Amino acid sequence: MNKLNLSAITVASALGAFCAMPASAAPVKIGLVETLSGPQASSGQAYRTAVRYVVDQINAAGGWNGEPVELLEYDNQGGPAGAADKLKAAAADGVQIVVQGASSAIGGQITEDIRKHNLRNPGKEMVYINMGAEALELTGEKCNFYHFRFAGNAQVRTKALVEGMKKAGALGGKVYSINQNYSWGQDMQQAIIDNQKAGGYTVVEKTLHDVNKIQDFSPYVAKIAASGADTVITGNWSNDLLLLMKASKAAGLKARYGTVYLDQPGNLANAGDLAEGNFVVHTFNAEAGGPDAEQFVQDYQAKTGHMPVFIEPQTVYGMKMVADALKRTQPANGALSVNALAQALETARIQTPMGEMSMRAADHQAQLPMVVSAVSHDARHKVDGTGMGFKPVLLLTAQQASTPAQASCKMKRPG
Amino acid sequence: MEQLLFSLMNGVIYGLLLFMVSAGLTLIFGMMGVLNFAHASFYMLGAYFAYTLQGVAGFWPAVIAAPLLVGLIGVAVERCFLRRVHRHGHAHELLLTFGLSFIIAESIKLFYGNYPVDYRVPAPLDFSAFSIGSTQYPFYRLLMGGIAIAMFIAIYLMLTRTRVGIVVRSAIHRPSMAEALGHNVPLVFMGVFGVGAALAGLAGAVAGAFYTTNPNMALELGVMVFVVVVVGGLGSLAGAMLASLLIGIITSLAVTVDASLADLFALFGAGEWARGIGGLMTLNLSSLAATLPFALMLLVLLVRPGGLLGENG
Repeated sequence: MNKLNLSAITVASALGAFCAMPASAAPVKIGLVETLSGPQASSGQAYRTAVRYVVDQINAAGGWNGEPVELLEYDNQGGPAGAADKLKAAAADGVQIVVQGASSAIGGQITEDIRKHNLRNPGKEMVYINMGAEALELTGEKCNFYHFRFAGNAQVRTKALVEGMKKAGALGGKVYSINQNYSWGQDMQQAIIDNQKAGGYTVVEKTLHDVNKIQDFSPYVAKIAASGADTVITGNWSNDLLLLMKASKAAGLKARYGTVYLDQPGNLANAGDLAEGNFVVHTFNAEAGGPDAEQFVQDYQAKTGHMPVFIEPQTVYGMKMVADALKRTQPANGALSVNALAQALETARIQTPMGEMSMRAADHQAQLPMVVSAVSHDARHKVDGTGMGFKPVLLLTAQQASTPAQASCKMKRPG
Repeated sequence: MEQLLFSLMNGVIYGLLLFMVSAGLTLIFGMMGVLNFAHASFYMLGAYFAYTLQGVAGFWPAVIAAPLLVGLIGVAVERCFLRRVHRHGHAHELLLTFGLSFIIAESIKLFYGNYPVDYRVPAPLDFSAFSIGSTQYPFYRLLMGGIAIAMFIAIYLMLTRTRVGIVVRSAIHRPSMAEALGHNVPLVFMGVFGVGAALAGLAGAVAGAFYTTNPNMALELGVMVFVVVVVGGLGSLAGAMLASLLIGIITSLAVTVDASLADLFALFGAGEWARGIGGLMTLNLSSLAATLPFALMLLVLLVRPGGLLGENG
């Protein structure tokens, strides 16, 4: 009987979906298609916390069109295949706004799937809100009208990092580039090479290695030591960063590290004092942002139980831009028109404690302020229960941090 | 030259660590025919137990107590779970340990969170033993290597020189005959499983401090450990040692080689042609370092399906 009921419901809902008119006053559904289980679950859960934080704020302010916004969660299980599946489920559930951040490989899958979905289902478009997939191709060859990136990318990050480390007098003349062998790592390597002139350094050697497979980084450290580099710049994240830095410390390597993801929770605690003096480029540092930033940190801590770290601030501000665009989008027949929302997103502009943040219509790459910080005992906010935190060295406004849109992006707008 | 020496030493030590974990796996398989998927989880448990205990009791007591605890868990797993499904065949045992590995990983996340924990080499052991050129060699690596070698010698002597060893080996080869002669074979199985788990726990307790202790460490090492056991020959302790060292040294040396297949073809004057093809031809060996062990496993399976020192090879 139960089974019968279930299948009857399935059939009914399938039929319903088939011939549904835009339901009147349908609540807007945001689908978080994120890595919520498995080895990389920690990143996915951080995105979830931040997205939920803003969705709660949207609803506290009255939601959209008089209805609360719904947040649905889909576990992509850490891979593009899982993401493709869950995206179909999300489309079937009537999700119009898809949010994802962890992993450029998954981001690449989602943006392609959404492009195809929108071609095949005019009137039922979805938009992809990219919070952290930083591969350049997403705003380059693969750029499309329904993809918006609210994070940095390899070029922006490296440019800021090099400038900050140069200002702090910590860059040196010889740089070693070590990165993970996939789209993001390859972009980082290219960016490190591209910034040689601006930073006044030469890349003595560059290495690409397998992603999250290596336990023992000491052979790589031996290679870095042999190259005589003053600075190592790496886009590595998670274990690949931690193990690399631990192996450097063990070998007594003097080189300084310029990183993108040193602020991932657990890194400082695990690296201990060896983290001190190394650099990170991120999108938010409360110490650089004045009272507004402090208030945000306190509110976030009160709501979620921890300080906003790692990718959480950029996700919060990205979602606030979505909220800003939603507010400016008028309902059409009582429902949300994704095309109208996407057009509003193209002109989204908000004030953050770090400075103004806006969306560039040409390639849908958010223009956001960047902070370069050094790990120090003097930092105001200590992290991970250590005596250390991130002391800002350089704050770049969105204009200063910006790099030009890629020529390979040919944006096709509907209509 | 200095770099080569350094890489060689790194490779040997990493190989010895692999051996510490795979020794238990190969023993358990050789004896009971159980391919224990949860074996690397015991490695992880060892690291987390040592991390927890070192706060209370200090580093050395923790390193000794953690493997014992893991061994007890191993005994419990054998006694309460594996023994029940044993008569249903190997597939059930495999599935059981597979499920167990998930349960252990998720429970670790439940108790310790998703991020790496603060388990580090204690300060008194954190110094460099010597320098080669400008690079220092950490003492702790030597210590890890030393423990692995001591472990190998101890197991080897026990298996070949003591009465317990004789019973264990006979139970491996002819369990029913050993039972008929009055030996308690299930007890021997339980003991071997416990010891195997404890060895993995010891490896975790020692290596967790040097690398990182996080909920994924079982996954990261687990696959490599299976490769070691397959390459060395299932059930062969000496084979596990040989394969571990081989894999450690190969991965370590490959990192230093910035050559590709195209460079090989260039020796025969076909370099331009190979570079034109691109793809696999221009991939640097160094970027494949972590993948090479799998290629080695494929090769061994093709040429000597029983493994390097396996019995049916």
